[in-house]
Formats: sequence, C-alpha cells, structure tokens
Amino acid sequence: MFKFFPYAAKSLWRHRTRSLLTISGAGVALLVFCFVGSVQRGLLVLTESQEAGQTLIVFQENRFCPQSSKLPQDYSRTIAKMPGVTSVIPIKVFTNNCRASLDSIVFQGMPAAQLKQARSLTLESGSWDGFARQGDGALVGAAVAGRRKLKVGDKFTIGDVTVLVAGVFHSSDAAEEGLIYTHLDFLQRARGQSEVGVVTQLEVQLAEGADPDAVARAIDAEFHAGPVATTTRTKGMFQADTLADLAELIGFIHWLGYACVALVLSLVATTTVMSVQDRIKEHAVLQTLGFRPLRVFRLVLTESTLLSTIGGGLGVIAGLTFLAWSGMSIAAEGVTIAFRPSWDVALQGMIASVAVGVLAGLAPGWQAARTQIVSALRHA
Amino acid sequence: MSLVQVIDVSKEYQSGEETIRPLDGVHLTMEQGDYVSLMGASGSGKSTLLNLVAGIDQVTSGEILINGTDITKLSRGILADWRAAHVGYVFQTHNLIPVLTAYENVELPLMLLPMSSAERRKRVEIAMAAVDLTNRADHYPRQMSGGQEQRVGIARAIVANPTIVVADEPTGSLDADTTEQILTLLGRVNRELGMTLLMVTHDADAAGRATRQLRLERSVLLEHGAPIATTRVLRTA
Repeated sequence: MFKFFPYAAKSLWRHRTRSLLTISGAGVALLVFCFVGSVQRGLLVLTESQEAGQTLIVFQENRFCPQSSKLPQDYSRTIAKMPGVTSVIPIKVFTNNCRASLDSIVFQGMPAAQLKQARSLTLESGSWDGFARQGDGALVGAAVAGRRKLKVGDKFTIGDVTVLVAGVFHSSDAAEEGLIYTHLDFLQRARGQSEVGVVTQLEVQLAEGADPDAVARAIDAEFHAGPVATTTRTKGMFQADTLADLAELIGFIHWLGYACVALVLSLVATTTVMSVQDRIKEHAVLQTLGFRPLRVFRLVLTESTLLSTIGGGLGVIAGLTFLAWSGMSIAAEGVTIAFRPSWDVALQGMIASVAVGVLAGLAPGWQAARTQIVSALRHA
Repeated sequence: MSLVQVIDVSKEYQSGEETIRPLDGVHLTMEQGDYVSLMGASGSGKSTLLNLVAGIDQVTSGEILINGTDITKLSRGILADWRAAHVGYVFQTHNLIPVLTAYENVELPLMLLPMSSAERRKRVEIAMAAVDLTNRADHYPRQMSGGQEQRVGIARAIVANPTIVVADEPTGSLDADTTEQILTLLGRVNRELGMTLLMVTHDADAAGRATRQLRLERSVLLEHGAPIATTRVLRTA
C-alpha cells in the first residue's frame, strides 16, 4: 500500500492549486471544529470535574450576578462548624461585565492564606510574599495577563478597581487563568465602597465522604430565617446554573462542529471526483499495467485521505496553537469558561479528518476501480 | 503447445440499437519469439483482438490460452495480476504517468511483482539501457519528445520480462524518423531479447518488419491471403 504513497502525493501535487485550496478549506473547517470542541470541553471541565462535585458555593438566594449577592461574611463561621465541612472561604467577586463576554475581567477577593491553600496556582512571575505585603496586590491569571499584556509591577484599572500586579500565575484549571485574585478586604473596599463583612459567595470545602446535597440543604436551612437567605449548590451545579444560557448556546454550536466535518467531506469528495474524472485514462493505463481494481480504489482513497488529513492536521495544529496562545475565554456572571486546547480535541479532529478522507474517497474510488479499460483508453 | 492460442473467439458489443461483431470465430496461434503484425481496415477488429490477447477486454465466446492459461476464465483481479506478470503493453499515445519520471514509469509494473528493490533497480536500469534512455531517467514525460516517450513506453512494457508484448499502433503518432527508431527498437526487442510481439498497425512498412504479417478482413484473420487456421495447418505440415 505504502509503496504507491509517493505516486498518490505526486498526483495531488500535480494539481497543486486545487489540492492547496482543498487543504486550506479542510484546515479552516477543522480549525473551527477544534474551536467548538475546546469550548465544549471547557464547559464540561467546569461542570463535571471532581472538585466541582465536592465543593459547595453558597450564594444569596434568588441572586445571579455576583454584584447582587451580598452575604454576611460571618456566615462562614457558622458553616465551618457544620458536619462534613472542612473549611469555608469567603469570596468577594467583582466583574466588569455580568453578561456573556469574551473579554470579561473577573476579580475574586480572598484571604491570601486561604487562596494559597485552596488553589493550585503556579507563579510564572512575582511571589506570594509580594502579594501578601501589597494591599492592592493582585495575582493575575496567565490568560488575562497575556490578553491585557500585564506583567509584575504594572498597575491597571478595570471598572474603577485599580490593582498592582504582584504575580502572574498558571493553573491546572484553565478557567482559573482567566481570573484575577486580590485580597478580600481590598475588594470589599474597592470602588469607594465599604463592604467589609459582606461577601459575594462562600466556598465550602467538604470532607471526603460528605454528602454534598445534605450539607447544602443544611446550610440553606440554617440561614432560611436569617437576615440573608442562601442558595447552596455544588460548584459544578452553580457554574452550570450560572452559565445555563451560555451552555445552551454552546450545546447548539456543536452542530457547527458537525457542519465543519460535513463541509470537509463535501470539499474533499468534490476534489477527488474531479481528480478521478480528469484521470480516467490514467486509471485505465494503471489497470492495463496490472493494477487490480481494488488497488486503484485504494490509491484514490489514499489521495482523498491525504488531502483531508493534511488539511485537517494543519487546521487542528493552527486551531490549538491559536487557542493556547490567545488564552481566550468567555465569562458570564463571574464564571469563566476557558477555551483550552487539549489532546482529546486534537485526537477527535485528526480522527474526523482521516474518517472524512476515507469517506470522501469511497464513491470516486469505486468509480475509478470500475473503469472499463478499453473504452477509457479509447475515449478519454 | 503454442505460446498464444486464440480459439474460435468472437466479440460483440452494443452500439445503440445495433450489435457490432468485430470478431467472429477468429483463430490465431503464436509461438515463442514470434513477431506478428496485424493490419486491417479501421473497425476491422484488430485492436479488439490485441486487447483480448492482452487481457484488457473480454471475449463474447471462445478461448484465449497464453502459455497454457485460459485468460477468459480469470476473474478481474486475477486477470490484473496475470497482466502484471505476463503482458507488456505499448500504447499508441505512450500513456506515461505524467507525475512520474521516466525511471518511475518503467519501475511501476515491477512494483506489482514480488521483487526486492535492488532487483527492481537492476531491471529498470537494464530496460532503460535497452531503449538507450539511461540519461533521461530523471526526466518527466513533459520534458521528453514523443519518440523518447515511446521508448520509455517500450521499456515499461519489457521491464517485467513479459510472456508477450502487445503494441497498439506504436508509431501512429510519430514522425517518419522517430517511427524508424521505434520499429528498429521493437525489432531488437524481438531478436535480441527473444520477446514475443503482437503489433497492430496501419502502416504496411511497419507491418513488413514483423516476421509474420496478418490481416483481419471481415472477421477473418488472413496470413499470406489465406485464413489463419488453414495457414497454421499448412505451417505445421
């Protein structure tokens, strides 16, 4: 099979303009496919990770945008004493845009010691000490830093919140890299407000084996008659609820991914049909020399698969490189979905490319294999 | 046993409403080392007969035995394998693969046979030398003249050392000088390499180079003006 690979490659190169156009079309389609796949994967990670199921988020009842949830910070002490709870982190959230946006900036104010303990952040530059010493210091996620071209020592203002970059971090959780962490009390006092003692949400870490639903019910029951009623959900459910509209949209755009695959199929099939029709005589000559019909079929299949795989491969590489480089994310109501490239998406893209190449070559391959030698030699 | 035995072969095909029967009960035998030319008017069925012997067309009835194998009984795939091993085909219009160099074109039939790459290289070099085109091995068909292309076509036809070489009007698209070169080359292929040749031609001069000249007239194959079956009987006697 592979000994005729150079012949197949040369046949494609012979009509290089047509081949390159097909390859570029397949590339663009697979780039979009990877983009869609990465968004879906980002949403999946956000809502279905282990941490998402074993961490609770306490929010003010019937509130959705972080700006509107105002919980007494001392709720954390009460919750910390409940069975199954190991720790409670008070978090103040500020975002410059509550609606879905590709350039939302989300601040999370947390006590520095708890931040260091609860999040697995790797500082790319700056230091934890520098952050602890600097009242208006901020640890900036690598995606935000890349997008806004921020580095340690820079001072920047977003939505009347002015911070000094004390560190830039990477995280194993891609969505984290779209956040900016500050001190809790700084964010409570930011923008001329005095909201000390008020937080947006409480993040509750559960003990191993604790029933998240039972603890959530107990928390809501505890504060049901209090000054501010709460709604407590697992982090995954909280993020899924918060991103419900966006998730619906993302669920819909997976059809776009399928459409891209169908586009590649039609593009490669058209090119291969044209190639076969141009070379009816050549295929008859090959059969005269002793090529079996099945070998001619496989030759055509090799060409279509090559086109699709090269195009798809380039699209996958370009798409994932762009996503890795751009650090793109989409945020709504303070929750961020990172468009993180992954091997899964790359593998899906490559499998789709190869499968589409094979499918696209079936009909033209069959046509080439069924060539009637004498009439093809005479009339082509 | 004769190398080629065409026994009572008929061929018919439909052309619209009409049934065309270019060959009707044709007999032909060829011995090892024969150089046979086949002439006839346009539409007489000479190319059809050549294609049947080459195994690229199917008989309507009759048998064709090549070296004892009845190729009319072979399936399409097996027939392709048989062609790779036993038939060298020289086309009128060369029909080289345009994306392959002269060397690669000649090598192509060998890639279908069980053979080491070293053996393949050796055979291609011998075939290229036989047609005096060693210095053009890296040239593509578009970089060669018509005569050079046809010589590459002949090298491709002989490289696998086939049982029979068939040539369908091999000089039909060439000028007089090049025609002479090609006919000389085919003569050498027959004499020096001992290959059995069946050539269809319109050119009486080209046909005269063959050791046997046949003519197909109204579905009857004639040699020296007599039907071929009779001729063979006389020859045998």
